[in-house]
Amino acid sequence: MAQAGIVQRREGVPTGVTVPALQRAHRWLDGQFTLVATLPTTVLMLAVFGIPLLISLYLSLEGWNVSQALFGGRFVGAENYHDLLTDPDFISSLLLTLSYTIVVVASEMALGLGLALMLNVDLPFIGLFRTALVVPMMMTPVVAAFCWRLLLDPTNGVIDYWIGRHIVWLGQPATAQMSVGVVNVWQNAPYVAILLLAGLRSLPSEPLEAASIDGANRLQTFWHVTLPLLRPYFVVALLLRTIFEFRAFDNVYVMTSGGPASATMLLSMYTYLASFQQFDLSLGAAASWFMLVISLLLCLLFIATIRRRSTV
Amino acid sequence: MRRRPIRHALKRRLFAAGIYAALLGMAAAFLFPLLWVLGLSFKTRLQVYAVPPLFVWKPTLENYIAVLRNGDFVQAFVNSLVIASGAVLLSLCIGVPTAYAMARFPFRGRSFLFFTLLVMRMLPPIAVLIPMYVLFSRLGLSTTRFSVVLAYTTFSLPLVVWIMRGIFEELPRELEESAWVDGASRYAAFGRVALPLIRPALVAATILCLQLAWNDFLFAAVLTDNATKTLPVLMAAYSGSDTGVDWGGMTASGILVVIPVIVFSFLAQRHLVAGLSAGAVKG
Repeated sequence: MAQAGIVQRREGVPTGVTVPALQRAHRWLDGQFTLVATLPTTVLMLAVFGIPLLISLYLSLEGWNVSQALFGGRFVGAENYHDLLTDPDFISSLLLTLSYTIVVVASEMALGLGLALMLNVDLPFIGLFRTALVVPMMMTPVVAAFCWRLLLDPTNGVIDYWIGRHIVWLGQPATAQMSVGVVNVWQNAPYVAILLLAGLRSLPSEPLEAASIDGANRLQTFWHVTLPLLRPYFVVALLLRTIFEFRAFDNVYVMTSGGPASATMLLSMYTYLASFQQFDLSLGAAASWFMLVISLLLCLLFIATIRRRSTV
Repeated sequence: MRRRPIRHALKRRLFAAGIYAALLGMAAAFLFPLLWVLGLSFKTRLQVYAVPPLFVWKPTLENYIAVLRNGDFVQAFVNSLVIASGAVLLSLCIGVPTAYAMARFPFRGRSFLFFTLLVMRMLPPIAVLIPMYVLFSRLGLSTTRFSVVLAYTTFSLPLVVWIMRGIFEELPRELEESAWVDGASRYAAFGRVALPLIRPALVAATILCLQLAWNDFLFAAVLTDNATKTLPVLMAAYSGSDTGVDWGGMTASGILVVIPVIVFSFLAQRHLVAGLSAGAVKG
């Protein structure tokens, strides 16, 4: 490295001639390319992510309300966190979010895997189905939830008409939970399908051929060859869906706003209501730190996964 | 290999038929809610509430005409457009050079920067939204479109960097290297050599970012007011009110909100996988 530098200097600067200042400045600027290219990103990240997180941490340790000056709150230490952990509503919201995430993600993975396997078969017009499947995923979540609200409407909804019974889907805890979950699975199973399909398409063909030569049937090949090869893709999809379902908000807001009787009060909804309806931003900030820590752990798991794979 | 008799061919056909049947069922289930709402949006007030529901009717455009005459909707449409394009433009200007630098030059903190971007995209948005709300109102930025643009960069900037980093890594470096040998600076090699080559991917990244920004509800719900609200905020307000009121108008607005994203996203399908998976899975 050092030697290369010397050689370069000897070539660029003939002995006894001083390089014009402008050219030197150019060369210096050229050397700073990575800095120039990454500095704006770093500054923006600090502004919209780093500093807000610090303020959020500060808020969560204060007894602060909206009418006060930014740093005019009263330091209360861990009191907000203590309040949350002794609030049965928060605890049930936390537990609900965890179980909701597990159930919804498991359903998305199962359905997504099924879809990906079907879409991977080489048949005419299969591309058409792939395109159709992307539609729910791309839809504005608020509008998707809104569509389902109309379908599930007890007086004019087509679902109640078809099953011939009057069910107030979003009015009872169990059916409301189910409806919100179904809408999420409906919207995001294609996400899993598309990632797994990309995995299936990039699998090496040799093991599959070897299995068929050895006389394995479809099911055996799938179970003993395809599935293990697909594992890394499966893990990526699983982690990403878990991260995104954990913070689910839009469809809950539109369909139930957390009700009935807090049956669908997911953590993000709880945090939202605490912060922007009761305007207890300190409590909201503390609640959001619970979400942050859990999400961060999942993120680190995801990062570890993709790092390990890129080094292999 | 053993010779397969006719039975095998029959089995293959049955298998294909089974797959088609299952796929048709799935496609129907996945498309039905949108198609039904699309149907509702072309019904008159009387037809919407008809019992039994009408499956064949003479479509009317009256709902769409009413929506497009509604100043509130048009204002929200313009807001959505301005905010989404602002966020995407900002993210592209800042993110593409960063992605290029990450793909081409090793520098200290490179993977830290990349993974922090990843974390920024993945942490729950409400966590940054609360302090942003406080900060923006103290800075006099609250309820401005600019504040929403800034908030949206928390997800659009990482997306741009993920997608474009992968694209630049796949681009052979020989062309840029020969430009360097010819005396071009790194800036020129980036702007005049690399950038024109990846234009299609740039379009795809733009579309995927636009889609995310267009679809966001949470940030906009908190950071906008009546004058600056975006389409998802308007839609949520609709469905928050009594849904018995005006299904025709509401469904027509919903369709007008989703049609642009769906049409555009078909154009970006090739890069969808990289966009969804932080580049962990190549499409």
